[in-house]
Amino acid sequence: MTEPIIQPDLMRISWGPQHPMSGQTRILLDIDGEKVYKIIADLGFTHRGIEKILENRTFFQGVIPIERMVMADTANIGLGYITAIEEALDIQVPERAQWIRSLICEMGRINSHLYAFGLQAEATGYFPAVFLWTTTDRTPILDLFEELTGARWSYNFFLPGGVYKDLPEGFQGKIIKVVHYLRRRFQDYWDALVENAVFELRCNGLAVLKPEDAIRLGATGPVLRGSGVAMDVRRDEPYAAYGDLDFQVMTEQACDVMARTKVRFKEIGQSLNMMEQIANEIPGGEIRARTTPFMRGKEAEALSRVETARGELQIHVFTEATPNPYRVKINSPTLRNMYVFERLAELNEILMADIPVVISSIDPWYLDSDR
Amino acid sequence: MSEDTIINKIKEAHQDQIESATIMRAKRLSIVVKRESFVEVAKSLRDTFGFTQPSAGGGVDYPTENRMQMIYYLMNLEHRVLLTYRVNVPRDAPKLPSLTQVWEALSFHEREAHEMFGFEFEGHPNMIPFLLPPDWRGGHPLRKDFKGEGVTA
Repeated sequence: MTEPIIQPDLMRISWGPQHPMSGQTRILLDIDGEKVYKIIADLGFTHRGIEKILENRTFFQGVIPIERMVMADTANIGLGYITAIEEALDIQVPERAQWIRSLICEMGRINSHLYAFGLQAEATGYFPAVFLWTTTDRTPILDLFEELTGARWSYNFFLPGGVYKDLPEGFQGKIIKVVHYLRRRFQDYWDALVENAVFELRCNGLAVLKPEDAIRLGATGPVLRGSGVAMDVRRDEPYAAYGDLDFQVMTEQACDVMARTKVRFKEIGQSLNMMEQIANEIPGGEIRARTTPFMRGKEAEALSRVETARGELQIHVFTEATPNPYRVKINSPTLRNMYVFERLAELNEILMADIPVVISSIDPWYLDSDR
Repeated sequence: MSEDTIINKIKEAHQDQIESATIMRAKRLSIVVKRESFVEVAKSLRDTFGFTQPSAGGGVDYPTENRMQMIYYLMNLEHRVLLTYRVNVPRDAPKLPSLTQVWEALSFHEREAHEMFGFEFEGHPNMIPFLLPPDWRGGHPLRKDFKGEGVTA
């Protein structure tokens, strides 16, 4: 990156991409003493050109590279692409498949949020134990994934028209068991992390993002809901089975790092409720519509919206009479939230030592922003 | 207010400035605007029609028609309607004014479209390389005739 000009009285520090908390990005911080005056994100370290790759893959093959965008949350990302294709190609999906999709998406959301807490606990510096807890408690969910899809990460389980396999025998009972286990653990996390005095001191009132700023700067997901704006694609325009599921959109009014953490916590609770509801009420029937691997498209375009763990993902697919899309535009949530992160130093007083805490509250995933 | 009402009101207010305004499906609108009134209509969309939240922006290349299309994705939070705001530019001179003066958050997306498609955004405050490496030897990867880094023929 050609670096923008620095003000003469400031010092520029390059943070990442090798820093343990930075992830695969470099962040330039213009500082005076401890205070950060300007944040510049240098993205692109993990740019793989997924949009270009998808242009050269059939609709079925495209599901595999696009899931590599967010490894902790592959189901939601894949669903965004698949719903766009289904809309462009007029494919009707059976109801049972929609419910199975919602189940996997919610499991993925819990998986991703647990990982986010682990990193947040790590960033505040006092709670390595919480990181180990959350990593361990992802295991029952990954076990469910393994039994259902054959893979613990990156399932490639959705396909245009439905899902690959039906639920195995006795799977509903296992879901309920995991839900009960995680609900119990949930209380432990709340006591150990959110209501911990040290964590409160570190996070309360830090990096405040007012609702009007959040909207103007294009924030999305838990960052937007943490600023008190009740916006969730699952509620606004229900896809998969979300129209039939009972859940609430969680918001917090405090607009700070703590608010974003609490939103994620409460969303896990909602996801657990939804998992339980799906296990109890999933309808019977077919699990996939008739589709062929080399099906051709037609002259059409479709713009899908799904709510991933990091926020709203929009995928705009242009198709023509070929087996591969003409163009795929991916509007990723992390890219939007990274812009908010760049501006936070101008809206608030942020100190050097708080940068890891602030960035982990955004929950960035750079494979997602770089694509 | 339904999608119909919104699109009719936009049509009424900017009759001569837009090429077409359509409903793609429920909750999805699409406007193709003329290049000379690009910024003016954008300001009105933000201030009058409530499209306050920018989502993203990106291009599409149509080499056979010798044009490229820049698409901005804008959200109306009150009605939860997503608008694609499009402008066509000739492929050999893809110049257009930057929309960062209306929605500053589009800065990242315009930087990306600049290096991926070669759009020139006039008045962009910070046009530095974004996703491509700093020693990139030239070429716009998402154009349809892209053959490889630094290949010109």
